[in-house]
Amino acid sequence: MTTPCNVNGRTVEVKADPGTPLLWTLRDELGLTGTKFGCGVALCGACTVHVDGQPVRACITPTGFASGKRVVTIEGAGKDRIGRALQAAWISLDVPQCGYCQCGQIMSAAALLREHRKPTDAQIDAAMAGNICRCGTYDRIRAAIKQAAQSLA
Amino acid sequence: MNTPLGDHSPFAPTRRRFIQQGVATSLTVAVPIPLLAQGTPAAPASPPPRQPQSFIRINRDSSVNLYLPTSEMGQGIHTGQAQILADELGADWKRVAVEMPLRPSPDQRITFIGQMRSVGSNGIRYWHDPLRLAAAQARTVLIQAAATRLAVDPASLDAVDGAIVHAPTGRRIPMGDLVEAASALPVPTQPVLRPLSQQKLVGKTVARLDVPAKVRGEAVFSSDVKLPGMAYGAVRLTPVFSAEVERIDDATALAMPGVLAVVRVPRGAVVVAESWWQAKQAADVLDIRFTSTPHDTLDSAEIDRRLKAGLDVAGVRPALTRGDAAAAFSSASKVVEAEYSVPMLAHACMEPICGTARATADSAELWVGTQGHDMIRMALERFAGISNERMTLHTTYLGGGFGRKTIADIALQAVLASRAVGGRAVKVIWQRADDMQQGYYRQTMMARFRAALDAEGRITAMQIRVSGPQLGGQAATGTAVASDPFSLNGLTAMHYQIPALHIDHAVVPLPIPFGAWHSIAHSFTGYWLETFMNECAAAARQDPVAYRRAHLGGQTRMLAVLDQVAKRSQWASPPAAGVHRGVAVVESYGSPVAQVVEMRLVDGKVKVERVCVAIDCGRAINPGQVEQQMHAGVIGGLSAAFYGKITIQDGRAQQTNFGDYPLMRIHEAPKIHTDIVEIGSPLGGVGEPGVPPVAPALIAALHSATGQFVRSLPLVDHKLV
Repeated sequence: MTTPCNVNGRTVEVKADPGTPLLWTLRDELGLTGTKFGCGVALCGACTVHVDGQPVRACITPTGFASGKRVVTIEGAGKDRIGRALQAAWISLDVPQCGYCQCGQIMSAAALLREHRKPTDAQIDAAMAGNICRCGTYDRIRAAIKQAAQSLA
Repeated sequence: MNTPLGDHSPFAPTRRRFIQQGVATSLTVAVPIPLLAQGTPAAPASPPPRQPQSFIRINRDSSVNLYLPTSEMGQGIHTGQAQILADELGADWKRVAVEMPLRPSPDQRITFIGQMRSVGSNGIRYWHDPLRLAAAQARTVLIQAAATRLAVDPASLDAVDGAIVHAPTGRRIPMGDLVEAASALPVPTQPVLRPLSQQKLVGKTVARLDVPAKVRGEAVFSSDVKLPGMAYGAVRLTPVFSAEVERIDDATALAMPGVLAVVRVPRGAVVVAESWWQAKQAADVLDIRFTSTPHDTLDSAEIDRRLKAGLDVAGVRPALTRGDAAAAFSSASKVVEAEYSVPMLAHACMEPICGTARATADSAELWVGTQGHDMIRMALERFAGISNERMTLHTTYLGGGFGRKTIADIALQAVLASRAVGGRAVKVIWQRADDMQQGYYRQTMMARFRAALDAEGRITAMQIRVSGPQLGGQAATGTAVASDPFSLNGLTAMHYQIPALHIDHAVVPLPIPFGAWHSIAHSFTGYWLETFMNECAAAARQDPVAYRRAHLGGQTRMLAVLDQVAKRSQWASPPAAGVHRGVAVVESYGSPVAQVVEMRLVDGKVKVERVCVAIDCGRAINPGQVEQQMHAGVIGGLSAAFYGKITIQDGRAQQTNFGDYPLMRIHEAPKIHTDIVEIGSPLGGVGEPGVPPVAPALIAALHSATGQFVRSLPLVDHKLV
């Protein structure tokens, strides 16, 4: 039994058991390793992807949940304006340090900017509080989100 | 002014040479590794170490590869090292690539930094001079080769953007066209270094080389390695640190889908399966029993009792003693006394411990995001019978290190797992709970500080008793030591001018492995000493900045950062209503850092609004990266001060994940303002020195708000966050 879904614009038939977390299906079956394993219980946000436009934590989302849906990972984030603007801002402000959490950060930021084109500090805090950065890049993450929002205005 | 390296250079006179590679398809120049014994009489007679670990290679297409044994774990080191190289050589910045050597140096005469371990904020300060020397040597022979070809004076040539350029005629030869001729030339022993005025990259905020790949999800971390036919491993390890495996019944696990093997490893088992999720599910239900130990009932209350007892134990050998403390205390106008304690801390890197190996009985190829290549070499030699020559170690990016990834446990697990499945590559990934519960924590420590103050409030004597385990812990070494200098860093070499000083450490053995954690002992000695200085200033009714200045006579670097942070935070003016400020200054890893924390109490909870940072790291190779590392230090240090605490119950760590071991999140993170003070100091580190001052500066701000000094961390225990 396979699970049909659309990943980054490509239709795929996923072989993994539908109960397998989407994270491991993306990483190990589809080779999309930009989505990271951090905690396994939706506490850190490193595995954030979009399913039908909504940010989800792939580590606790069964593969079966993505059946017939559109999944976007960091590898597909640059295909839309918001994702491109965020990646450009992240590069121009040298946001990452170790970088491990940053793909999840960008996916959460993309969901935020889709909702709020000009997010306030409080909206940024609310949308990004689920994503931990152990290296402490928060100051630059805030600045990059604002820069991306400005470039989209 | 040009700066020739004199014979006093630690790298003169025997440690420079070319590595000739048959037909010269590239120009390769060794980056000399400083010997451990440098400066001792024995060193000059020693032959130079073989240096496949560190070299510059200029290729036929004028691209440049730099091999240095420093891992990129977020500190931006590869970019900084490349800047130094490219500037001195005159390389084309867009064509410089930083690579990692494939095995550590087996030469025991060189420090472990040179052998291959990325610790101690050494990436720039250790490698700057050797790297610059090697780049100048390469530039010199390339220019000589070009001078011969063009029949001009070498002095009329320069190396610019990957080519040798003759400015008077505009002629230009790409470096790659000269590598063959340059390789045949003798290496100058004292090449002329470029004057600072010619540096175009060093000192500038150059964009990091690794960022675009990290932002696109393309950067390969340890957990991202994929090899043909690869299997996956998950672990079950002893929860009690000194336990071993008693027995394993693997029947149930082996019957589960995809499971290939259950492999005994030190202190546990690796379950190998066709996918990691299968391996994880089988590991979770693996029927494994561990031996009982005398420590199975150990808990944090008992640990605290032992440390507390250590504060009063007699007969401890002094680590440092000077002046007449007894006389100073007997004539003191005031005596200040405080006891402090800090908990164990986990590193909690965002990337759980992970590594991949493809192994035979006597060889292994590994892919590990490690900061301890030499530790892996030693572990595989000792426990897997694999010699250094038979080991190939690919270094991936590290999803954080903070000292934890010096430990070689994962490499041995991956090698043993690969052997058990016929040499298939196996990627072993720990779960978060494994990462959190398997030790190598920052030590839990207590200390008692006493100071004698004279009538003017000046400290005339200080006594410091430290109580707690040694770094490493006797679980790792088998024996306890009488004193542990690593645990006193920041105390024995304190900058405060105190006439009488007595420091000792009552070593309290604990059956838990302790390891290096982001700034190591400075993470607690900085909290203690700086909080105590603030307590003494308060007792003397003096301003904490002025009080420090009075005790830092002649310490120009400490004073420079202190003055800068006071200026930036407008220390002389009162803060805005409701805002409380605190200050601290700590030198670690060659760089003094001063910080002022500004916070409010909101409904009795701490809200840190801004942290001002001033650092003197000598010359900032990349100021933007220095700023980033200060962010890392401030947030990492605040995170630990707010929440960080590993506790022990029934001999095992209780915390499992970010729910019970929280890290600071964006809504709690302050704005951070960094100033880099450049006063001509020697190069210092930047990866760790941002950590130590933030906790004591925060505690001082809290004192301003509440009138109380918090003498034990974390703040969550005091219901302040």
